[in-house]
Amino acid sequence: MSSRVGSPAKYRFEDRVLFFVVPLFFLDAILGIWGFHYHHLHPDGALAVVCAALQSSPIIAFIVIVGLYLAGETDDFQKTVLVQSILRGIGVTLAVTTFCGSLEKYGFLRQMDVSWVQILFFVTVTVSMLVSRWRYR
Amino acid sequence: MLCSIKSLAQRRYVIRMWVAAALCVLFAVVAGLAFRLGHPHGVLGYGIAVLPALPIIWALYATGVFLVEEKDEFQRNLLVQSLLGGTGGILAAATAWGYLEDFAHAPHADLIWVYPLFWAFAGISYGVVWARYR
Repeated sequence: MSSRVGSPAKYRFEDRVLFFVVPLFFLDAILGIWGFHYHHLHPDGALAVVCAALQSSPIIAFIVIVGLYLAGETDDFQKTVLVQSILRGIGVTLAVTTFCGSLEKYGFLRQMDVSWVQILFFVTVTVSMLVSRWRYR
Repeated sequence: MLCSIKSLAQRRYVIRMWVAAALCVLFAVVAGLAFRLGHPHGVLGYGIAVLPALPIIWALYATGVFLVEEKDEFQRNLLVQSLLGGTGGILAAATAWGYLEDFAHAPHADLIWVYPLFWAFAGISYGVVWARYR
């Protein structure tokens, strides 16, 4: 088993993701699968807004944690790799959504759900991180 | 406006972003007119639809170049925090709206609004971060 030596900021980042973001994602998944798809719950009014805010809470938590990590990390290289990955992720996400939006507008594509934007972002950021790590290994 | 910017990297960045914004509007108008007047389909249609997305890639590339060229760490940090704010804002808004569309029958939101909304959130975030450090 290999052991990784990381900075305290990185350990805090991983702990925060594990103890805040992951449980929130599970809570959302349970709410989505068990509540909305299995039991066909259809909240409306203020409850719908609260549920919508709950669905987006892991993203807000993740972005806050990234901000805290960037503030606490002293290794400029690690910070640069993360910022580059986020920049690539948001670049690909915005380009793809604008392209799909144009296709949708001119009838080439059926209506797409905007909630796919976050999945696209996280996939591209993860791929970009892996590519960066492989490049700088 | 450009005269008030002291850093060369910042000046270049502002020029590049203005060019990208102008190209984005121009390409969107060209694509709109092409679809309205010419009714292109197939590969040509896809090619025209991709036009408005090209300046976006360039704008994000210009942002990456700025982060490399800018020597002032504070300015770099300011932009990174603003972009993080913009990213968080747009992802949260898109997820919340997607959920409201699915389960509360909210009207459909066009995906082309994601890009302008991202910069709107980044702009608000920039203002907040700037005010914090004043």
